[in-house]
Amino acid sequence: MKSRIAKILAGLAALVVAAIIWLPCLHLLFARPLSEFRQNPGLSPKARQLAARHLQLWTEPALREQELKKMRASNAEWDFMGRSYLVWSLANMALRDPPSKPLYLQTMDQIIDETLRLEKQEGMYFFLMPYAKERHYLVQPAHSLFLDGEIALMLAARRVVEEKPEYKPLLTERVNVIVERFQKSSRMLLESYPDECWMFDHCVALDAIKMADYLDGSDHSALIRDWLAMAKQKLVDRESGLLISSFMTDGTPLAGPEGSSLWMVAHSLQLLDEDFARDQYQRARKELGEITLGFGYAHEWPKSWKGEANIDSGPIIPVFEISAGSSGMAFLGASTFGDGKFLRSLAATLDFAGFPSRTGGRLKYCASNQVGDAALLYAATLGPLWQKVKTGAKP
Amino acid sequence: MIIKFWQSLGLFRRAEFLSPRDLLQRASAISVLFLVAHLAGLREFTSVLNGTVGSTAVNVKLGTFLAAVYILLYLASVILVPVLVLAALMLMVWQRCVRKEENFSGPRT
Repeated sequence: MKSRIAKILAGLAALVVAAIIWLPCLHLLFARPLSEFRQNPGLSPKARQLAARHLQLWTEPALREQELKKMRASNAEWDFMGRSYLVWSLANMALRDPPSKPLYLQTMDQIIDETLRLEKQEGMYFFLMPYAKERHYLVQPAHSLFLDGEIALMLAARRVVEEKPEYKPLLTERVNVIVERFQKSSRMLLESYPDECWMFDHCVALDAIKMADYLDGSDHSALIRDWLAMAKQKLVDRESGLLISSFMTDGTPLAGPEGSSLWMVAHSLQLLDEDFARDQYQRARKELGEITLGFGYAHEWPKSWKGEANIDSGPIIPVFEISAGSSGMAFLGASTFGDGKFLRSLAATLDFAGFPSRTGGRLKYCASNQVGDAALLYAATLGPLWQKVKTGAKP
Repeated sequence: MIIKFWQSLGLFRRAEFLSPRDLLQRASAISVLFLVAHLAGLREFTSVLNGTVGSTAVNVKLGTFLAAVYILLYLASVILVPVLVLAALMLMVWQRCVRKEENFSGPRT
């Protein structure tokens, strides 16, 4: 009996020692050189594989239909955002890989044209969550900055890569609508949903305006400057110094600083105010980003803010408080600000917990979906588009 | 015939709890179950992690259950299996050392 107990204790001790040895080594199974996710210049292997999967979706309508059906069952916004991220990715890819530019431009045009057709045919609610219909927009006629900003940025990105005359009036019209509303709003806060405004959408819309200035010689620098000044003063969470994610048209906060939108906000701000953008990234990295045993991930909220899991955060894994949405979007921040250590650890987590699936040179993450993969593709390719606009190189 | 072959290797023989063979049997069982789940295509259902249904062919509850089964087996196979194998190896080495020591310290004839 004594010997049996001793054997069991020895077995337990061996298990504990084995766990102590194995757990810190686990990430080594998934850690890859950074160049596998992101390369400068050129395209990384992962970017090519992710892009191949997305290009396949746009050449095989049945496959696309199936993928979109799955996403729309949860959130119609994802269908729209998947399009936006893919167009922005393809714009950067066209600048990184000029020989493939014709294919990328053709796909960008196909996506933009189909998105505009659907918006016109089905109305703006087609790409919004159902609660958008539950109340009236305060400013009529109803417009969603979410749609206007992202569509404008898609059109602008396409034109920055290569001019397409048909898109010029479409961009001008979209930008004019946004600018006019900014000018009419005493607080410069525009609705994405009825009396619900999002930081993410404001930053994307301002990027589109800045790009329209670059393309067409207009000048909205005063508007952008005033909006940034207002945001720094009124839309920052006092505790963390991070921008809040959503608010009402009178500026009342609806949600605090959320990782699922903050990382993209920091990326978008880079085109508008580099120092402010870097400050927001560094704060988000400190408050939300974590690396444990070599695996990178992100929280949805800073410690000072209590929030509950929602459609943007995705499920939150207890104990570590890992948010799938924030961790996915953290790629954008780390990539934008060249945070190699964090990006490498996030990529290790992605290969560990994202369930990659490769077929015929195409890559998708089963734990993700089309919009998630498109955002990852954007993180792997972003840079040249912003750079071209910032340096003022000829379109 | 195949079972007899494996039995001759001692793989299916009941092992003492937490003995090296017990640990290796558990590691093998997890690996085989994970392989079956993987080959059955359950990986696709892991999209529930972002709130998207894995397949429109099955209902949400079943999809979530299949995803949970796959995720648990996957985590067990990448975290638990190496720990079980390592622990088994350590125990084997330790037992061999103890046996040697016993042989050395035994009466000389």
